[in-house]
Parts: sequence; structure tokens; C-alpha cells
Amino acid sequence: MTDTWKTRATYLLFILPFTVVFLIFLGFPFLYAFYLSFHRITNLLNILSGLKFAGLANYLYILKDPEFYWGVIASLYYGALSIPFGMAVSLGLALLVRPRKPLLKAYRTLFFLPFVLDAFVVGIVWTFLYAPRYGVFTQVLHWLHLASLDFGVLASPATAMPGVVLAMTLKNAGFGMVLFLAALDQIPREVLEAADIDGATGLRKLWYVTLPQLKPVMLFLVVVGIIGALSAFAEFYAMTGGGPTMFLWGKPVGATKVAGYYLFEHFSNMRVGIAAATSFVLLLLSLGISLLSMRLFGRRS
Amino acid sequence: MNGRRWFWLYFAATLLVIVFLFPFLWMLLTAFKQEGYGLVFSLRVPYTLDNFRRVLFQFNFGRYFLNSLIIATASALFSTLFASLAAYAFAKGRFPLRRTLFVIFLSSMMVPGLLYLVPQFLIVYRLHWINTYWGMIVPHLANVFGLFLLTQFLREVPDSLLEAARMDGASELRIFGWIIVPLAMPIIATVFLLNFQFHWANFLWQLVVAQDQSMYTLPVGLAMFKGQHQEAYSLEMAAATLSVVPIAVLFVFAQRYFIEGITRGAVKG
Repeated sequence: MTDTWKTRATYLLFILPFTVVFLIFLGFPFLYAFYLSFHRITNLLNILSGLKFAGLANYLYILKDPEFYWGVIASLYYGALSIPFGMAVSLGLALLVRPRKPLLKAYRTLFFLPFVLDAFVVGIVWTFLYAPRYGVFTQVLHWLHLASLDFGVLASPATAMPGVVLAMTLKNAGFGMVLFLAALDQIPREVLEAADIDGATGLRKLWYVTLPQLKPVMLFLVVVGIIGALSAFAEFYAMTGGGPTMFLWGKPVGATKVAGYYLFEHFSNMRVGIAAATSFVLLLLSLGISLLSMRLFGRRS
Repeated sequence: MNGRRWFWLYFAATLLVIVFLFPFLWMLLTAFKQEGYGLVFSLRVPYTLDNFRRVLFQFNFGRYFLNSLIIATASALFSTLFASLAAYAFAKGRFPLRRTLFVIFLSSMMVPGLLYLVPQFLIVYRLHWINTYWGMIVPHLANVFGLFLLTQFLREVPDSLLEAARMDGASELRIFGWIIVPLAMPIIATVFLLNFQFHWANFLWQLVVAQDQSMYTLPVGLAMFKGQHQEAYSLEMAAATLSVVPIAVLFVFAQRYFIEGITRGAVKG
């Protein structure tokens, strides 16, 4: 009897360090953020003692703020471009490197490599490629007679977002590729053989036989992509600073000022209540959209 | 497939590899170009190590490199240890609230990281950990994804093995150290590497906690440098190289562990 008591205590000791850190830095902060979203800082010199209850004021502030809506739209636009494009590139890579042939295995590694790098640093590198005059990308566009040398991809409102999307897709596509490769290996051989017997070839086989089998991976990539787009920050901090400025119904907005950027700006100006409220609205949005896409994707099967 | 199709497949794949890695090759080249040539769109320019010397010593990136290394190593070490200990208890132990706790831990993976920014900052502020290694490391030591991977793995360890050790009078700590850790070494390595990579790239948190130059990490230093020096691209690329190359080398040597960890997590999660 004492023995089981003793082993139980040992197990509790084993989970203790993890649990303590979790409770202090993940569990409590979640509740604390909720609490903060109903409060306002009144004393900037001592953030903690100056907290005052503000009711729903922070939420009302956000919901009346056109910049917040623009941030959400910009994030969704980011997701709407990067998710399908990223998925297509990932799948293309997976199909390309799938055969078990020399060299292709090394190529898998190389395609995956940028995924482990820092989004901020990769963003800085791409900013250099996109730079007007000196940037390689700009030089290539000029050489193709597509743009003048003074053109900056990240400096014009129409191309800034696609510019970030291209950079981040090339960075992250390896992740999707690896998942697609794993899923392609799981497709039962009978399914493919049945398709062969029915005379399906090439693209038809890919579309009607292979793709439906990859649905779970696609759904996963969509959900991860939505959560990622709604909390994206580092790549925009590196590449656009939320800009360039454009005018929407006569009002200036940052073309790439995504929701994460909106949150960061409030946070760095010590409007923690608004920042916390923003994070909860974003959490609800990402949960809602994820559930919706699970429904949509799930139903068609 | 016939020879011609293979040729096109290899041609396309090779072209894409070049496209994917081009930004980093260009980064490397620019980092080695002599001052004044960084912006010249040509390969035939004088090359030098001078940019690295200046970035490391004149602009303090040596210190930032050290900070990044300390933070990533310490974080990875401790979060892997904490996660392994907890995973053993969750996989093989019996204790009150076991299932409930595990579900609570896992459900936190659904929460976007951005939500923790504000409250974690205020907690670290109250603990007087702003601008310290503690503040950069400790808040991220509960690695839920690692716990999940390790628990999944340890559930498959046969109970008979542990029973036999207990018969011989081994304590739980001894079992953990002498049986579990060696058995789970590949997955422990995976969790360690994923953690290291995460902390090496944990830009936003480091930006917020490091307020003094002496505490900057590589990406934070790069952000500050970029803010102060416009169009100093050769130096910028040298600094970026310092951040990219170590993790890229680590990845190439240990890619099996990286890729396996990420696919396992995605497939089962």
C-alpha cells in the first residue's frame, strides 16, 4: 500500500516541473488575458497597479475601429492567397520528388530546409531581393520588361501582399510537401490499381483518385494556414512594416497591416486591454473559420 | 516512365531547388562582397570576410550570436527534460487527474501564440525578468507539442520491461534514466531539435523582452541594425547569414529527426 502511494508521489514529482511552468506561463496567462481584456491601464509608470475595470469598452473600441476590420481583411487576404498557392506548390513538389530515385531524396531535404529558418530573417533576405534598383527580383522584372528599375514590390500597395506571400510560400512549402509525401505513401495500392483497370491516366487519375485521398492533409493545411494568417506578424514586421500606405474610401490604411500587426501596435503602446481584447476576438475568429472549413471539407467526402 | 520524362522531371526539380535556395545563395554571396560592391548586380566583384568581421565585432553581433545560442540551448535542454519526465508519467503512471491534465495541456495547442504575448509580458514584468535570460527562457519551458510526441512514443514501450526493472528494485527515477531515456533517444533528439529551432527563431518574444543591446538575440539585433542603417545590405546579409547558417547546418545533419517529428505531430494531431 505504501508502495503505490510512493510511486504515485513519484509520478506527481515527474510532472511537477512541466505542470508548474504550464500553469504559470500558459494556463494562467490565458485567464489573465481574458481579465485584461476588460481592463484599462491608467498609470503607465506602473502598469500593474494602475489597472482599472473598463467593462466592454475595449471590445467596443475594437468593433468600432475601421483599422481592426481592415487588419482582419488583410489577414484573410493573406490567407486566401497563401493557403491555395502554398498547397499547390507543396503538392507539386511532393509529386515531383516522390519517385525513389537518386538525387530526389536530397532534393526533399533542400525543399524542406527553408521551413526551419526564422520568418523574420527570411523576410529580411527577401526584402533585399525585392529592393528597387539593386534587388535581384527587380532586376529580373526589368530584364523581362515587366517593370522599371525603380519599382519596389513591397512599396506598392497592389504587389506588397503577393510579394510577402511568394516569399513565405517558398519558405514554408516544404512543410506541406512532407505531409503530402507521407499521405501519398498511405494510399492503398488497390485504389490506384482499380483506377488503372478503369483506364484512368495522368491528370484524371490525379484529380479523381489521388486528390480525394489527400483531403485530410489539405484540411490540416487549411486550418494551420488560417490560424497562421490571423496571427502572422514577423514576416510583415521584416518586409513591409505594415505598409505601404493606400487609401480606402479616402482614409489612409497600411496595405499589409494585418491583424497581428494591429495587436502588436496596441501592445507596444501599452494599450494592453485593447491588445488582449483583440487577441480574443482573433481566437474566436480562427476557431470559427477552422470549424467552418472542417464542415465544408468534411461534407464533400 | 521513359527517359525523356525522367529528364524533364529532373530538369524541373533542379530548377525549383535553385529557385527555392536562391535567396540564401544570394544572401551568402552578398555577405562576402567587398564594401561598396554589395549592391552591384554581378558576380565578378572583390570578395572579403570584412563584413563578418565588422558585423561580429563593430556591430556586436558576436554578443547576439552568443545570446541566441545560450537561449536556444538552455530552452531546448530544459523543455526537453521537463517534457520527457512528464511524458513518462502520463504514458505509464497512475495518478489523480492524469487524463484531465493531459487534455488541458493539449487543448492549449489550439490557442494562437499571439494571445500569450500580452499576459506573458506582464507576468515577466512583474517577476522583474524583463531584459534577462530568465524572461526569454522560462515562459516557454512547457513544450506541449514535445509532451504530446513523447507521450505517444512512450505509450508503446512494453509494460513488461518496466515491471522487470521494478522487480529488481529499480526506482522510478532509475527506470526513467536507464530504460526510458535510452529507448526514447531518437524522439528525445527530435523534441530537442524542434525546441532549439523554435527558440532560435522566436523573434517576437525576444524583441519584447530584450530591451538592452547586451540582451539582443540575432534576429532582434538584425531588426535594430536595419532600423539604424538603411541599405547597408552587405552587412545586413552577413548578419542574416549568422542566423541562417547554424540552423541550416544542424538541419542538414539531423533532418531525419526534424522531418519525423513534424510529420508524426501532424498525422496524429
